[in-house]
Amino acid sequence: MSSLTPNIQGRDYWRSLEEYADTPQFREWMAKAGEPVDPEALKLSRRRFIQVMAASMSLAGLTLTGCRRWPEEKLAPYANRPEGSVPGTTSHYASQIMRGGIATGLLIEAFDGRPIKIEGNPEHPYSLGSTDTWTQASILNMYDPDRSRQVYHGWRQAEGQPRERVASSWEAFEAFAREHFGQRGGQASQRVAVLAEPSDSPSVNAMRQRFTQQFPQASWYEWEPVNRDNELAGARWAFRRSVRPIYHFDRARVIATFDADPLSTHPAAVRHARDWAQTRKQADDTGRMSRVYAVEPTFTLIGSVADERMAVRASQVPQLVQGLAARLGVPGVSDVNLNGSTDFINKLAADLQANPGESIVMVGPDQPAATHALAWAINAHLQNIDSTIDVVEEPGDHDRTLLQQITELTQRMNGGEIDTLLVIGGNPAYDAPADLDFAAAMGQVDTTIRLAEYHDETSQASDWHLPAAHYLEAWGDGRAWDGTVSLQQPLILPLFGGRSAIEILALLSGDEQTQGYDIVRQTIMGSLPRVIERDREGLWRRILHAGVVEGSAYPSSEELSRRVRNLPLEPIPDAASHVAWNQAPQTPTADAELEIVFQADPNVFDGRWANNGWLQELPGPLTKLTWDNAALVSVPDARENGWRQEDVIQLTVNGRTMELPVFVMPGQARGVIVVHLGYGRTSAGQVGNEVGHNTYTLRTSEAMHVAPVTIERGQGRYQLATTQNHHLIDAVGEWAVDKRVGKNAGESGYVIRDMPLQQYVENPQALQRNAHGDLPLQIFDVPYHPEPKREGGPVAFNEPHAWGMSIDMNACTGCNACVVACQAENNVPIVGKDQVLMNREMHWIRIDRYFKGDPTSEDAERPTAIVHQPMMCVHCENAPCEQVCPVNAAVHDTEGLNLQVYNRCVGTRYCSNNCPYKVRRFNYLDYHAKDPRDGGMPKPWPGIPDQQQHTGEHGYDRIRRMQFNPEVTVRMRGVMEKCTYCIQRIAKAKIQAKNEWARGQRDEPLVQEGEVHTACQQACPTRAIVFGDLNKADSTVTLEQQNPRSYGVLNHELNTRPRTRYLAKLRNPAEGVSSS
Amino acid sequence: MPNKTASSRFVFPRWVNYLLPVIVLGGIGGGLYLPVLVGFGFSADTLVVGYAPEQPVPFSHAIHAGELGMDCRYCHTTVEETDFAAIPPTQTCINCHAPGDEAAGIKKQSASLQPVHESHETGQPIEWTMVHTMPDYVYFDHSAHVNRGVSCVECHGRVDTMDVVYRAESMSMSWCLECHRAPEKRLRPVEEVTNLAWDPREHLLANLDEYESGLTPEQRERVDEISRSDAQLVIGEAVKQEYDIHDQMYMVSCSTCHR
Repeated sequence: MSSLTPNIQGRDYWRSLEEYADTPQFREWMAKAGEPVDPEALKLSRRRFIQVMAASMSLAGLTLTGCRRWPEEKLAPYANRPEGSVPGTTSHYASQIMRGGIATGLLIEAFDGRPIKIEGNPEHPYSLGSTDTWTQASILNMYDPDRSRQVYHGWRQAEGQPRERVASSWEAFEAFAREHFGQRGGQASQRVAVLAEPSDSPSVNAMRQRFTQQFPQASWYEWEPVNRDNELAGARWAFRRSVRPIYHFDRARVIATFDADPLSTHPAAVRHARDWAQTRKQADDTGRMSRVYAVEPTFTLIGSVADERMAVRASQVPQLVQGLAARLGVPGVSDVNLNGSTDFINKLAADLQANPGESIVMVGPDQPAATHALAWAINAHLQNIDSTIDVVEEPGDHDRTLLQQITELTQRMNGGEIDTLLVIGGNPAYDAPADLDFAAAMGQVDTTIRLAEYHDETSQASDWHLPAAHYLEAWGDGRAWDGTVSLQQPLILPLFGGRSAIEILALLSGDEQTQGYDIVRQTIMGSLPRVIERDREGLWRRILHAGVVEGSAYPSSEELSRRVRNLPLEPIPDAASHVAWNQAPQTPTADAELEIVFQADPNVFDGRWANNGWLQELPGPLTKLTWDNAALVSVPDARENGWRQEDVIQLTVNGRTMELPVFVMPGQARGVIVVHLGYGRTSAGQVGNEVGHNTYTLRTSEAMHVAPVTIERGQGRYQLATTQNHHLIDAVGEWAVDKRVGKNAGESGYVIRDMPLQQYVENPQALQRNAHGDLPLQIFDVPYHPEPKREGGPVAFNEPHAWGMSIDMNACTGCNACVVACQAENNVPIVGKDQVLMNREMHWIRIDRYFKGDPTSEDAERPTAIVHQPMMCVHCENAPCEQVCPVNAAVHDTEGLNLQVYNRCVGTRYCSNNCPYKVRRFNYLDYHAKDPRDGGMPKPWPGIPDQQQHTGEHGYDRIRRMQFNPEVTVRMRGVMEKCTYCIQRIAKAKIQAKNEWARGQRDEPLVQEGEVHTACQQACPTRAIVFGDLNKADSTVTLEQQNPRSYGVLNHELNTRPRTRYLAKLRNPAEGVSSS
Repeated sequence: MPNKTASSRFVFPRWVNYLLPVIVLGGIGGGLYLPVLVGFGFSADTLVVGYAPEQPVPFSHAIHAGELGMDCRYCHTTVEETDFAAIPPTQTCINCHAPGDEAAGIKKQSASLQPVHESHETGQPIEWTMVHTMPDYVYFDHSAHVNRGVSCVECHGRVDTMDVVYRAESMSMSWCLECHRAPEKRLRPVEEVTNLAWDPREHLLANLDEYESGLTPEQRERVDEISRSDAQLVIGEAVKQEYDIHDQMYMVSCSTCHR
């Protein structure tokens, strides 16, 4: 595909630059996109094809003779069923997940003792029932066959063979540890070092204390590649102590982010998203909405939903923050020349001044400490402290940054000062700054002990490797962003005999109590105020049940908040010492230079999720890139340098060079190259090895975030599997409608509708502009015509419920949590990069990311904007798919669900062809059995055993299989599938409601509002997805569908009468704000 | 003529002509026979009805549920709560058949009970062979049926008379639909669900007040002569009303059983 050509057509909303440019190549590709198989990819000659088909026929004949009963199945009941356990049902347990040392509370669903699905814990303040993508996907890691299963000690190497691990055992390690650490107790411990990930967990910290008591001279280091070093350093710069800001986005009317993303990588992102969405949803009731200003080098989630956005170089952000501070009159700040950004900053300053105490100014972790300090000053000046931002003491010791810690550790290792290194979690050999060469330094240490879930790069460099327990297998605890204590409760015994960090620390400290349960219980109960002795068991059980310890948030102190409000504004006297922290205001790179920005990947984060197939195949929220990372370049840079999508370029940073494919990213600042971390793993596992490119090799301790880069053209091209052009909604049809009924420039489209808030408030009905007027027609007589159950309710398919959905595009941030939640709930397979390239990804939900505006324009007044539209089967009442199915596999039920009957489906794919929303997915292969990394097509049919029928070694992986949701059919190759509105959840709720009613336990036999949540709805951090019964006049979904913003995508063009409707996006540009 | 003898080697003899009707009739007959053979031979009725696998313990439902009159739910405890009517844990057997010196051990010496005692000691489950199994794409829910007056006997037959449990019904889709299309032919009061010997006629006559309104005038006049099937219909209609059983369109929707 080509990059931009001069003949730009100027579509209003577009999903890729190719679509925008509408080149002949793109049209050709579009025409081909519907083709089932790219014959070239099949790599099968005609002759071979005939051979295979003949073999298949004869085999089919053979199997017919084996016509048989179903395989004999065994039932193994408990010998002694535990009290309260009911076979064949699901139960829920409260637990938690950690990210960046911060916990989020969860509810884990277990089926017959197997955890199968993760939801947020509604009682946890930083989940409120929602989750992020990583949390949703973490269940897959639990059942990852590549997880480490064995204690290893040392290596052996036969002549000419690759070296191999020598298996050992926990007993051997325990014996070793007793002797080795026994000799190093007390004062003899100065050559012992521990490297862990930072954690706020009370038990980890208790065990850390215990360990340092035992080994007082040992050093404890912490490292995480995506960290909050600068943020914490900024707070220390300003207050000489560590302060944590607790943002309340729901109270903010103006939100300004500078290279920050509160909605994705921030540890409190889920809560932030919920709070932010509240300020958007109130537009219908109050006519008011928050206004988001985003200043950033490339699109982030907050930038994609911003009302005013400016793309600038990351290195210019400090200047802009300083300019803003000066304009706001923050004392002691001198003004700077802002060049082209003056208007934007003036506008922002005026808006902030107009909303004192109701704004948030946030600076991202890539920005230097001084800029963070300045942000504190701005927020204090705007009276935001104690209003939109609460402050608490940051727990832990932050005298040294993580970067300083790992640097010092490496130096000491290389200097021979360490003889025993214990690495708990993390993966420093892969993600430590490249100039430190941590893996080599590990070679200088006599004894390296490593506890990890995978035998990864760091384990490759260690002596001992101990398998760690997954968080669903081990006891633990943690603290939320606001300090609320939560418990981590295991749901299953460790599958591979792993142990947790606290258990290892207890073991090394020579404690008698080495069981995780005892440690956690003691820590948690010890931290609570004393209660009467006999109450303690009950109290513990209540905490376990709720998952959170009430009232355990960090206390706010008047002293601290006064200090923050009256921040000393001139740099504190010993500023020189802080310069050593690498955090002097960074000098902007020259305009002519290019700069590289390192960012955590939205899917694999810092690389820890690299072996998770769901996350590898998840289209990135903004790039829609799967199975890869790339160098994101801006449109003007690409045009000027002649870089096309998928060209390979060579990046050189501080003398370190690597090659990366180009991805042209609209809306990115000129002069910025963004690269994502976390790819190119060499020891991640079968799924993650050698996927993408390892950009840590460019990241050195001098340039952890932003650095000048020089670029040369590299060799050849590299294919990127981006789904941004996949499943385009009827682009041709939209063009035709435009042509017939006409459309004014700047008007909303038929698929996407958006509008400035002001315009909407003046005339809410303006969004209801329809091409054909209202056509409440059924094409066919519905075979079933009950009366509507309420006035204005659905007249068809409403017996006894009428299911419907509403998706608020004004609240959707495109975060992808719903996509993974759906995948986990509905046994949706991954297909692999080669299949994605063939349009064959299986996700039931895709989030269509539409760009708006002219990508070539660098006019700050008309920037490129984004609309996220989650798209799954909309359950049309007049379903085009049903009309073409020759075998009646696509049919409606009486409640409005458009069903796909797998056992009728013969795989003609007519339905998919006729679906205007392009939401149907075909199982070209038995994807659950296929290795996603096997490269292109697997062996033809005879080579693949009928995996589903096999329970033995030919079946699906026995461990992976444990995650399957037993309530959902695992689809075989050759059938079509699509969103079912989580029919299994509906069925369960219906049966339960009626059982209870029949037993006199409730009044209503039917399912009530709030009793069914679809998986996507439940995961959504912003509650943008609402599902329910349209027969009920007061259900949320009915109310939302009566909102003047509600519209059915393509409904008025094609009369499909979809049950899923969308709420149009509103924007709140700063037009009324006077820029002084 | 020499030619004639030479070429006659290639000509079928005249009697072959009589084969033609045989071939035609055979073709027609075979054409009819094959589908019949396949249709009946491979039908669920032929293949699965009567399937009675050997179990590790020769547990007799005829003794326990029949002679001793134990309720189905004594062992299959979860049937009213969940989709799955759980096979009892070994502990349930041990309640009566305790081994060794424990007090209430009935037949504690019996060799047949050996696997039960073994399981009790080791904690390892007894591996029973599944008799009634549904394809994975069918989501049958026991609780949805027994709580609405569908008796165990409708699918499992007279288990209380079976020494070895066998499959009494084909459990094919058309068999399921028979009932889903006309549930009144099978429904009974929920209290009688586990009473496998239940007779609708007796029940009607014993509870005449309750069902009187459902009878036609003729039936009311000569109620003693009401047939079994008519009695079932009267009771079935009443139960259908009572439990708000959905109408036929709903009951035969694909999504009722498949997901």
